[in-house]
Amino acid sequence: MGAKVPRAIIMFTVFLVVVSPTFAHHGKAAYDTKTIVTVKGTMTDFRFINPHVQLYFDVKNDKGEVEQWQAELTAPNKLTRAGWSKHTLTPGDSITASGYVSKNDPHTMWIDKLIGPDGEQLHLSEE
Amino acid sequence: MRIGLRNLMLGFSVACALSTALHAQEGAQSADRASAAPKAEAAPAPVHDLTGVWMMRNPPGSQRAFTNYTFTKDPPEMTPWAEVKFKEAKASNGGQFTLKTTNDPVLTKCDPPGVPRVYFHPYPFEFVHTPKYTLMLYEYDHTVRRIYTDGRPIPTDPDLLWMGTSVGHWEGDTTLVVDTVGFNDKTWLDRLGHPHSDQLHVIERFRRVNRDHIELDITMEDPKALVKPWTTTFYYELRPKWELGEISCSGDYLDFSNFEK
Repeated sequence: MGAKVPRAIIMFTVFLVVVSPTFAHHGKAAYDTKTIVTVKGTMTDFRFINPHVQLYFDVKNDKGEVEQWQAELTAPNKLTRAGWSKHTLTPGDSITASGYVSKNDPHTMWIDKLIGPDGEQLHLSEE
Repeated sequence: MRIGLRNLMLGFSVACALSTALHAQEGAQSADRASAAPKAEAAPAPVHDLTGVWMMRNPPGSQRAFTNYTFTKDPPEMTPWAEVKFKEAKASNGGQFTLKTTNDPVLTKCDPPGVPRVYFHPYPFEFVHTPKYTLMLYEYDHTVRRIYTDGRPIPTDPDLLWMGTSVGHWEGDTTLVVDTVGFNDKTWLDRLGHPHSDQLHVIERFRRVNRDHIELDITMEDPKALVKPWTTTFYYELRPKWELGEISCSGDYLDFSNFEK
């Protein structure tokens, strides 16, 4: 426990520091940045493209219905420097995504924390 | 467990304070300069060599969040001609925009960014020296500047280009001074939309203060747009392990309709 707390602090600090520059191309005005939402899903498509990497995944809601979600990350170049590749996620992978949800679409998210299929948190910052 | 919780809360407070400091748009530039003084143990800068990949890195605690979108905390003093153009601009600053709310020509039309607007993309750039010129390669949209260092004078009747025409020379062992003229007037100076004319003259002084850091003094002179020169200092850090990738402003770049509903 003692070893994990500082890591959590570091990650949170990193998030706060880098969050502005990551909204580089189009802005974050479309997102509700005051609320963090977390969902578990199964990847259906992964597009490692400019200007922002896109994730598409299915989420089973409380009623057992399948919701189709889409989410974006930062630029692929930045993720490459953070250790990603176009093969980092593939359809069928289980993920847990936390982030800001679009003000006008409850199934569109800007991800700021992502747990990959092996249960490890994926780095979203090149620094 | 209690200690862990206390540590977590302490860390949260520190993180919040740090974030507030970094995102605040206040802070005297003189204080920024003082805090950017190189550490004693930093390796010295090589002679006449800026080779490598560089990333903007404001000095810790310097409160320069404005450098995401403009040059100084306070706006420049503009001429009436520039004031009219500035009122037409819909800023793309700080992320609080969508592609429908800004008219930044870079973001909405993929226009080349111009100089020094090019420094407001959150991506690295690379210096490549050759015997007669130095290349600046910006990761954003394959943007290239060719800075002639063969002794030719700055052109007096330049063609008007997106990125201008640049000549450079070394002052001392570690400062590259770059003069750029010949801009068209279609680009902005910053992401707030401060305009310039085709009379813009940009002077960049890349001071490699040690192996890992460049301090870039930027001076913008434009008698048609600015009442007096607009000056700032930006800070960059070497990234030895980074390589530039491709970021092309085309196709998908202009369409975020699915994510900006």
